[in-house]
Amino acid sequence: MKVSYKWLKDYIDIKQSPAELADALTEAGLEVEELIPQVPYFNGVIAGKVTEVAKHPNADKLSVCKVITSQNEKAEEHQVICGAPNVAEGQYIPFAAVGATLPKGFKIKKVKIRGVTSSGMICSKEELGLESSSEGIWAFDEPTPLGTDIYPLLKDKEDYILDIAVTPNRPDCLSIIGVAREIAALTGNALHLPDINVPDEKNKSAQDLIHIAIEDASGCHRYAARIISDVTIDESPTWIQKRLEAVGLRPINNVVDITNFVLMEMGHPLHAFDMDRLKGPEINVRSSSPGDTFTTLDDKERVLPENTVMICDNTQPVAIGGIMGGQNSEVTAATRNILLESAYFKPERIAVASKKLGLTSDASQRFERGADIENIITALNRAASLLAEYAHGKVLQGVVDEYPRKHPQKKVSFRPEQVNRLLGSSFEDSFIIDTLKRLQLNYKNGVVEVPSFRVDIAQEADLVEEVARLVNYSNLPSKQYTNIQYDVETYSKEEELSFLKTKLIELGMMEIVTNSMLKNLEAKPFYDGNLVHIMNPISDDMTTMRPSLIPGMLKTLAYNINRSNNDLKIFELGRVFLNYRVKDIPEQPYRLAVVMTGNRFEENWAAPGELIDFYDIKGILESFVEKIFLDNFQFILYDASNIFSANETIALQANEKIIGYCGRLNEAVTSHFDIDVPVYGFEIDVNSMLQYMRTDRRYQPVSRYPFSERDMAIVIDRRINAGDILKLVKEEGGHLLQRVKIFDVYRGDKIPEDKQSLAIRLRFQSNERTLSDSEVDAVFTRIVNKAKQKYNAYLRK
Amino acid sequence: MFEEVEKIKKAYFEDAKKVKTSDDVEKLRIKYLGRKGAVSSAFTMMEEVPNDKKPMLGKALNQLKTELENHFATLQQEFKASLNKRETIDLTLPGRKPNTGRKHPIAQVEDEIKTIFKGLGFVVEDGPEIENDFYNFEALNIPKSHPARDMQDTLYINDDIVLRTHTSPVQIRVMEKKQPPVRMIAPGRVYRRDTPDATHSPFFHQVEGLVVDKDISFADLKGVIEAFAHRMFGKDIKVRFRPSFFPFTEPSAEYDFNCVFCRGQGCRVCKQTGWIEISGAGMVHPNVFRAVGYDPEIYSGYAFGMGIDRIAMLKFDIDGIRTFFENDIRFLTQF
Repeated sequence: MKVSYKWLKDYIDIKQSPAELADALTEAGLEVEELIPQVPYFNGVIAGKVTEVAKHPNADKLSVCKVITSQNEKAEEHQVICGAPNVAEGQYIPFAAVGATLPKGFKIKKVKIRGVTSSGMICSKEELGLESSSEGIWAFDEPTPLGTDIYPLLKDKEDYILDIAVTPNRPDCLSIIGVAREIAALTGNALHLPDINVPDEKNKSAQDLIHIAIEDASGCHRYAARIISDVTIDESPTWIQKRLEAVGLRPINNVVDITNFVLMEMGHPLHAFDMDRLKGPEINVRSSSPGDTFTTLDDKERVLPENTVMICDNTQPVAIGGIMGGQNSEVTAATRNILLESAYFKPERIAVASKKLGLTSDASQRFERGADIENIITALNRAASLLAEYAHGKVLQGVVDEYPRKHPQKKVSFRPEQVNRLLGSSFEDSFIIDTLKRLQLNYKNGVVEVPSFRVDIAQEADLVEEVARLVNYSNLPSKQYTNIQYDVETYSKEEELSFLKTKLIELGMMEIVTNSMLKNLEAKPFYDGNLVHIMNPISDDMTTMRPSLIPGMLKTLAYNINRSNNDLKIFELGRVFLNYRVKDIPEQPYRLAVVMTGNRFEENWAAPGELIDFYDIKGILESFVEKIFLDNFQFILYDASNIFSANETIALQANEKIIGYCGRLNEAVTSHFDIDVPVYGFEIDVNSMLQYMRTDRRYQPVSRYPFSERDMAIVIDRRINAGDILKLVKEEGGHLLQRVKIFDVYRGDKIPEDKQSLAIRLRFQSNERTLSDSEVDAVFTRIVNKAKQKYNAYLRK
Repeated sequence: MFEEVEKIKKAYFEDAKKVKTSDDVEKLRIKYLGRKGAVSSAFTMMEEVPNDKKPMLGKALNQLKTELENHFATLQQEFKASLNKRETIDLTLPGRKPNTGRKHPIAQVEDEIKTIFKGLGFVVEDGPEIENDFYNFEALNIPKSHPARDMQDTLYINDDIVLRTHTSPVQIRVMEKKQPPVRMIAPGRVYRRDTPDATHSPFFHQVEGLVVDKDISFADLKGVIEAFAHRMFGKDIKVRFRPSFFPFTEPSAEYDFNCVFCRGQGCRVCKQTGWIEISGAGMVHPNVFRAVGYDPEIYSGYAFGMGIDRIAMLKFDIDGIRTFFENDIRFLTQF
């Protein structure tokens, strides 16, 4: 809402400067977002005097002028080329010297115009941003001391606009008088409301010409009208035009401008119909039926949502109530007689209709927030008196006012002590009551009477805020924070999530945060179930909630690879969205995912670049599950994934249940994200991880006895997995086998073609004693025999 | 004669001091200990001295030879050792760096905020990002006709399910679950129907705060926000509260911090005002209490919000929110 400082002063004495007023309003909850001086900023423009005007030797329409900017006789004379016909010797003018900055940042430089030097510029009002177009230069009406800086002079004379962000609960501040009323409450200064004298015609009565019927009484609570006859459509007076322009409205003609003026002044929307285009005498307020259409005065034919409040004459709708008038009854240059409407529409009905129509107006904005039903007649009379004066209309006698169920006086129970309870203050009751009184909120016997314009005040807490606002939040007490120990939970899931992240960071992974909204096609391959789609997506790029973290991470990879960041090891922890349901919110489990591509380490003189392979991602996962104390887990072979390639994927099982996948991402998947390098990754369900993390973290004593190591080169069929052999070794090795390591895998011509040899180092150790060779050999032999028996394995010679 | 021996010795030690390169070492050997070197030549003096002096000179020459040879051997060894050292390892070459991970800047700031509030006795709570209309709007006293529910502003899954537009629904879920006292924060992701550009993101991150108990007042709210500002940005940062409007608080406030760059003096970032708008807060609206079955006559409480991304932007002087979610590795490695 744009409010003019000058206009405000019509209704209230303001001692504060515009900037002080802006601060005071902001601190009272009317946030002034911008204070806009009506004179746009310029500098370096000073008062000068034209001492000589001569014709330009090479151009008919230009003059070569001499300008002085100081009385000092030795003062420099500026030679200036001027194109304005009204330039004359002896004029005092605004002179922009070389180096001056005009509005919009235009800088004055020394130039040559058709061979003659021009150092500076004699300005017009247009060039100084004071009017939209000027006929010639601005010659001052009276001599001005030479050299005076012009900008500060104008700035004080002209107006300031306060651009106020009115919160949706305060429609009463969507007008100049509304804001003035707030200022009155803040400063204690008296409000001067305009005197309204309606020169009623005695011999003709509005009642005889029209009849109002409110059929839709829930949509329209009050409908009042006046008739003004014999108006002359013309321009409105300059002062009205200036007021409207100042607050951002375009003047149209006297009738429209006056309704707009009253709208801005009092906040009540009015509508003027061309009376002769209405088929009278009936004005009927009713709601629309399905399929109704209507052409609004912006010449658009609109399909009306059902149950829209419509103003109708005897034959047809003539306006969408509270939103916009109709083309069929619009005031035109030919209009002679006017029906002026001032009404109250139910906020919810206007809000719904306006949203469904996709149509908002100054009127709808006010009605949907709540207009002042008791101000209807005042606004109507104000406009009628202005129309009589500035459109030479005759106001027919009487107001036709249909107000079937009068809104009761709003009363709110109020206990002054609640102010101190909620604010932590210690105000006296009398102070609280006086403070409310400044806002026309009158307290008596436990009840506050709320004026009809304060639609926001409905309960005690609202009155507490009113006191707080007027006192100023900065003057309210602040309690030093004291930490009272409640039953604070010792376990927090959030801390566990943070723990998981820390472990991955320790493994060299970089955390990323990505959008959880994806393209449908990006999401689809990652989930077989019902994806969660957005009903009103921002764009086709964000239609579907991610069912996996991997697609967002692949986008991040592609983004980085495009910028030649090729070695990437990243992770994300966040929610995914699964299993759309109509009635209930979808499942939203946390997941943790890693993806890697590029070189294992940054290429370096000491470490030539080596590309990441499967064992890198597996190694990260192994270290990770170890670091988080995952219990009862194992890796199993897995080849049924759409995302990971069939021969390079494993699944992570915890307690026999698959909780994540790890491996090389399918090329079909990565190429969809325009990635043409190998990508490895894993994704795990976080809840399952947290569920199976070992909480018993008692330490295992380290053996004080020496260990013995044995190496075993065991030849097995190539189709047998190393993992199976390891499992067998561990099972047979029993508690004495303390560590097992595969240190070589050999396939080659020294063993049969279909075989492979695993070199395994076994470490035996006891916590109780030094092991004898024979004990160790016995276990070793047991392992070999079992392997022979189960996998037909033999020791390599 | 003996003076000659002393002279050779002295000259040798002087030359030995000047040795710098392996060539110098070799030259030193040739000059003194070579076949035609100074020591060998000195032995020719034996022929010229009288016989009675020969044994003494012989002894002196032999002593000289042994001393120089010994010294030279040590010198050569030391030189080799130092040479080896210098030639095999150049300490100025860059080292082998392990891969290092980092927390995303938003997560770092989130951690910092959580740490501060945990220190003040707050519990960290969590709630779903896709919410029922009831939790996101209805229970928070946001009526059906409220503009915040507009399809222009809110992303809907269906008529009754939305991407939460704030972290406030967690308040409701927590209050439904337990009786006062409540002292919680809830960090998390929220969504708005904003077209992404440098300064808008359709998703961002907030922290919700809620305290409910007997005798909680606006003064407590001011105190806790001031305590937060001081811990996060420094003791000299002032906090300003202004009236505002939110359906779920009454009285409602916006709160500003002194600009963290100019410390309130006025600069480019704060547009010369000295203040930076942080977020909203207020006393919990009685209707919200009624929705969760708390009695507003017995309990009072305050709630506040803050934008994690916004605080991270202030902390690191980042001017576009988009930068966070592009995840350029050159950006992430700066934190």
